[in-house]
Amino acid sequence: MIESIWQYILAGVVVGAIYALIAAGFVLIYQVTGLINFAQGEFAMIGAMTAASLATAGMPVFEAAAIAVAAAALTGALCYVLAIRPARAATGVTLIFITLGLDVALRGLGLFVWGTNPLSLDPFTGGSAITVFGGKLPPQAMWVLLTDVAVFGALYLFFRHTYAGTAVRAAVANPPIASTFGIPLRTFAFWSFVVAAAIGGLGGVVIAPITSATYDMGLTFGLAGFVAAVLGGLESLPGALLGGFVLGIVTKVAGGLFSTGWEEAVGFVILVLVLVLRPQGLLGRAVRRA
Amino acid sequence: MYGRIGLVLLALVAALVWFLPSYYTGLLTQIGLYALVTIGLNLFMGYAGQVSLGQAAFFGIGAYTSAALAVKLGLTPWAGMVAGAILAAVAAYVLSFVALRLRENLLALATLALGIVINVVFNQWEFIGGSSGFKDIPGFALGSYTFDQRAYAILAWALLAVGLWFAGNVVRSGFGRALIAISAGELGAQALGVSAERLKRQTFVLSAVYAGVAGAVYASQASYIDPSGFDFLLSVNFVLMSVIGGIRSLSGAVIGAAVVVALRQLLQTTVPLVLPSARGDFQSFFFGIILIAMLIYLPRGITSRMSEARRA
Repeated sequence: MIESIWQYILAGVVVGAIYALIAAGFVLIYQVTGLINFAQGEFAMIGAMTAASLATAGMPVFEAAAIAVAAAALTGALCYVLAIRPARAATGVTLIFITLGLDVALRGLGLFVWGTNPLSLDPFTGGSAITVFGGKLPPQAMWVLLTDVAVFGALYLFFRHTYAGTAVRAAVANPPIASTFGIPLRTFAFWSFVVAAAIGGLGGVVIAPITSATYDMGLTFGLAGFVAAVLGGLESLPGALLGGFVLGIVTKVAGGLFSTGWEEAVGFVILVLVLVLRPQGLLGRAVRRA
Repeated sequence: MYGRIGLVLLALVAALVWFLPSYYTGLLTQIGLYALVTIGLNLFMGYAGQVSLGQAAFFGIGAYTSAALAVKLGLTPWAGMVAGAILAAVAAYVLSFVALRLRENLLALATLALGIVINVVFNQWEFIGGSSGFKDIPGFALGSYTFDQRAYAILAWALLAVGLWFAGNVVRSGFGRALIAISAGELGAQALGVSAERLKRQTFVLSAVYAGVAGAVYASQASYIDPSGFDFLLSVNFVLMSVIGGIRSLSGAVIGAAVVVALRQLLQTTVPLVLPSARGDFQSFFFGIILIAMLIYLPRGITSRMSEARRA
């Protein structure tokens, strides 16, 4: 019993790491543009499918991964330029619908390009399962966790220790005043989409060897990333990281103990509870905005 | 005025069904039922200024209630329709205490999540068929006459006529003006003595009733339902119908439903000719692009253009 719970927790940590990456994308875009990007999960789909199809065609896995991340970043750039920027005068609900449109359009595009069959991707490195206190992790789990460390580490360094990162924080804190100091808000909005898409794509690439890749994986990952972001308070990158792991562990343990079919529902029940009881998230301070 | 539009449309459909092949009659039924859902959605989104990305769940609750009562208890679908509407209303009422505390982004998220949770329940609850759903759902009947496709089309559009008439009255009443006040700004509306929370709840429940009735008729007409028919993509389709016709328009709901059903038909027949590999719900690619294009170039829908043309 205890061993199997430990095993579920380990599985939860692995998917939670991916949820955290997707949540980080949400938080970046939300912070910079005030927009919830419903298409976020599709970037992971693009990354996973591109890498899996290139690797299946015989490309070495790291090259395929690099191209896949670039493809996801390009998708993010196109989404911003073609759909978000032309509608920048629009109000909240319209922008929600636009990103919703992006989501189903990208999902349909995935279906056109790759069809309905799942694609598999070999683990980046071979080797046997890693044993952690009696629980087993697939070798790919190391790559998943390393990706989290690298991405969140890079984001931390960028926001705390670079001039550009400070400028982004200023733009988030007070857009009009930042703008009068010559901070290019629109450029930042563009780059927030590119970076969020690249991070999502990378998440899709590293998880593909574990879950395999399908054209409709984006919605599941996107929504999970969402829940993780909300758990973390939507405005905080450390919150996104924590939210991802909490969500991953809770859903895997609940799914393992009861029934995997209910896994998805568990995540959303948590989401709704957090939205109602603690809208500022697990780490957030109360009453930051009305 | 909307009552009259509804009657004219009903008369048109009742005449058309005698000439159309039964396949197209089925499409007419689909348009009528989707339009009914979209009217409810427009009251909630367009007039009250809220957002729901989970409307397919209420459509599903209506369908499942009616199917379960008919298959398990042998009740007539007429009773199932009433029960489906009631159950959808109860679900919306309960969920509103969670969802309607939230606004815009978070409301969209919460309704999306609730829609998916309800779909998981459809999938996991073996009593209502689990992932294989219900087969051989009994059809509607009047006395000894069992409904054929023509009768379903007429029933759907008769319900639509009633729905249009009722929604038209709602919109022109004090209730409707209060809704518009809420969409313009909740605080201001509250200051004028409008109880925003209660009105939003009532509208949400009303929109669920519209969806529940439509779902119940759909279950009997299709005679087969499973959870995949009530998923997130259907909710997005409802949003698309709403946006195409004009989110704050009642006749727009009918136009939006007709455009989406016709478009889906067109895409399903033409795209595989060009791209033989196209399979599954690929039309979502075009629907997504159309949704984005509408919102950028014609955010108030087709009907806004038509009323401008009339004024000019």
